[in-house]
Amino acid sequence: MKGLNLRSIGLSLLAPVIAIVVSVLVTSLVIAAVGSSPGDFWSAMFSNPLPRLRVNIVNQTAIIYIAAVAAAIGFRMNLFNIGLEGQYTLASYAAAAFAGGAYLSGFANVLVSILIAIAVGAAWAGIAGVLKTTRGVSEVISTIMLNSIAIFLVGYLLNRYGVHEGNSVHTTRLADGSTLTGFTPYLPRDGQIWALSVLAVIVGIGFWVLLNKTHFGFDLRASGMSSTAAVASGINPNRMIITAMMLSGGVAGLIWLPALFGGATSYGTSFQSGLGFLGISVALLGRNRPLGMLFGAVLFAFLNSQSNTLTFSTDISPSIVQITEGVAVLAVVVAFEVVRRWRARLEQRVVGREHAVATEVTA
Amino acid sequence: MTQGTDAVELRGIGKSFPGVIANHDVDLTIRPGTVHALIGENGAGKSTLMKILYGVQRPDEGTIRINGEDVVLKSPTDAIEHGIGMVFQHFMLADNLTVLENLVLGAEKLHGIGDDARAEISRISDRFGFGLKPDELVEKLGVADRQRLEIAKVLYRGAKIIILDEPTAVLVPQEVDSLFANLRELRDAGNSILFISHKLDEVLAIADDITVMRRGTTVGSADPKTATKRQLAELMVGSELPSPETGESTVTDTVELTLSDVTLTDEFGRNLLSDISLSIRRGEVLGIAGVEGNGQSELVEMIMGMRIPSSGHITLGSEDVTHWHTRRLREAGIGYIPEDRQRHGLLLDAPLWENRMLGHQTEAPNAKGPWINRAGARKDTQRIMTEYDVRAPSIDTPSRALSGGNQQKLIVGREMSGDPSLLIASHPTRGVDVGAQAAIWDQIKKARRAGLAVLLVSADLDELIGLSDTIQVILRGRFVGTFEPSSVTPQDLGAAMTGGEAA
Ligand SMILES: Nc1ncnc2c1ncn2[C@@H]1O[C@H](COP(=O)(O)OP(=O)(O)OP(=O)(O)O)[C@@H](O)[C@H]1O
Ligand SMILES: [Mg+2]
Repeated sequence: MKGLNLRSIGLSLLAPVIAIVVSVLVTSLVIAAVGSSPGDFWSAMFSNPLPRLRVNIVNQTAIIYIAAVAAAIGFRMNLFNIGLEGQYTLASYAAAAFAGGAYLSGFANVLVSILIAIAVGAAWAGIAGVLKTTRGVSEVISTIMLNSIAIFLVGYLLNRYGVHEGNSVHTTRLADGSTLTGFTPYLPRDGQIWALSVLAVIVGIGFWVLLNKTHFGFDLRASGMSSTAAVASGINPNRMIITAMMLSGGVAGLIWLPALFGGATSYGTSFQSGLGFLGISVALLGRNRPLGMLFGAVLFAFLNSQSNTLTFSTDISPSIVQITEGVAVLAVVVAFEVVRRWRARLEQRVVGREHAVATEVTA
Repeated sequence: MTQGTDAVELRGIGKSFPGVIANHDVDLTIRPGTVHALIGENGAGKSTLMKILYGVQRPDEGTIRINGEDVVLKSPTDAIEHGIGMVFQHFMLADNLTVLENLVLGAEKLHGIGDDARAEISRISDRFGFGLKPDELVEKLGVADRQRLEIAKVLYRGAKIIILDEPTAVLVPQEVDSLFANLRELRDAGNSILFISHKLDEVLAIADDITVMRRGTTVGSADPKTATKRQLAELMVGSELPSPETGESTVTDTVELTLSDVTLTDEFGRNLLSDISLSIRRGEVLGIAGVEGNGQSELVEMIMGMRIPSSGHITLGSEDVTHWHTRRLREAGIGYIPEDRQRHGLLLDAPLWENRMLGHQTEAPNAKGPWINRAGARKDTQRIMTEYDVRAPSIDTPSRALSGGNQQKLIVGREMSGDPSLLIASHPTRGVDVGAQAAIWDQIKKARRAGLAVLLVSADLDELIGLSDTIQVILRGRFVGTFEPSSVTPQDLGAAMTGGEAA
């Protein structure tokens, strides 16, 4: 029995390993094809990260992970919330504007800003949920449109109410009392691990508990597995769509907050866009599983962060890592299916052999 | 007779799934121009064997010989090339296409899609008395017509060996008779037919040869001319033949469910159900008889809160539940056995213990407040598997891996758990073997003595007559006759169901 367990753990790691190997190969081929050296590329990528980059990797892992969980909540019930980008942009702006306004002080300011971000993200995603349940509009279409609207809206609000400084504009900076001191593992110039990175831990554990320990999570998974059986079991599909959408949007609202309170101090040029789409990729890579996504988030954070060194040590563009990431996501989807089939065949053969032994004994 | 002339010869077929040996050392011979019945208890490996013969699954070992020629069937396409066709229990037709379109779909190369195809369809339909209308929409067809269409589809592709997996489970007796008439025509035209059924009367009525499977292997054959139902049942499960005798009435005076003048319309304003009134008292079984597609599904889904009536009232106990949603109704103590177990009753990719929770995910022993009680659900799954003889490797097996009958037993066990006060049962014993059928009937009778009210929809008239205290016949969304089970015969019911006469 124990041997079997070890083997099944090994087998479940097989697919991600295959995916990584494939993406390494494809990236190398692409680099070689454009006439650069894959060797230089990989030695730069896998060089031991500088302390500054190590801190950066941890911070990026945290926010990418939050984004992945936000995507996974929808994916688990076959809802494709492509609108994380718009949801967290709007939520980040709202939270930054509120926090910068200094209506509250210290920790209360942070707490209420977090709640505002959740509420704004949830409300923005909720629009897509309502459109789907009342008008039958596909959430894929509506969230893509809501992305554009959100980005436009934030641009307008920022321009109108923001602080103009030279060419750039940002929300009012946080008062000193509202920035959170993080953890400084190295020298101060190497930066801090953001205090609100802890949100990633909370969100991850919360997601796992919700899915596996509550009947709401059961409803969510059941809706994803069979919508007809879900309805017959008493799940209200409309309510489920709206709740899941809002939950996904609410979590999306948190994505950029660790950065905001950890050093960015305002919404402006320091805002990191694109995390919503990154979250979708990582959710796919991690198969919407809490641990799988953690692995994916670390990988993506590592690749993104290390790619910065490419400009110094090689002639290869950092954006090449996007190929690695894209191929990894595709390969993992294919590899899982291949491994699943192979595994079923393997198990059948084992059963067959055991049977042969059993009949010999009885005969 | 030389061996080479047999239509199908299976020798030493073996097939294993994770944790189960579905087939081992299976030998089966089908003579050309015969109807061959395959019987056996749930999980005996019948469907698996048929899927192997149709190329859906590859055997681990053994040989397949078709018309004397050794063949390897890698896919249904290979099987069709060798003249083998299969009609699955769950039909695979496109509802919004016409009969003609469904027939030619994927077989355009044979006779094109125009007049040639049309001529070929008429030829098949006339030859075997199918009565197909090429331009009719499939969504308008009842089950019996759909089944004929599925058979026509197989013939259209040139099949000479036709496999039918539990073709009669969804049919009422008259439809079974006409299906059998079709099958005899097919046989007389030289085709070989292999069919699976749990209904031993039917097997004796139609089959030329009978093969019995038990625990994954063929254990014997019987001659339908001399065999009796009892002998067959003993060969299959080694148990006595069940009879759904109700015994003394247990009907009380407390009304559990009432429908008063309920009408249900679809989105176009057409009536699906018209002025339905009924009441079921505690300890009473109300049977609903009807040809499938006359409003039974809608009636059940309406009572379960999945459809909301356009007028009238539904009362459960003393509460007006007309607008209640499914979950609230289930929590109020309604058990629900849906007619389509795979679409409505199971999460096929989830383990059995999670399927135990489905529909009861907010109730004990599966939940405590908002939390799932994993240990409770797992333990209760084990209990259901023992009490209802659900055969599966473990409670962690996905429900997809269970045989049809075992899936059904799991659902019945689940819905009978937690002492429901009302059971809405659509075809509760569809697809289960005679032994399990008897066990399910016993469970229903026991619960009924304890005060359970039951709405029973069934195509099995013996089951309806044997279990019900009253029978209502439904036709085109209306109740057209009330019968006393003690005095009614299946023939009377059959006539009322097809609109022959109302009492
Ligand atoms: N895809 C599968 N994966 C794993 N196990 C399977 C699979 N299909 C069938 N089995 C197992 O193989 C055995 C035989 O199943 P099969 O469906 O052939 O039974 P059956 O004789 O058709 O029963 P029933 O009368 O209930 O339909 C069962 O134990 C079943 O659990
Ligand atoms: Mg079967």
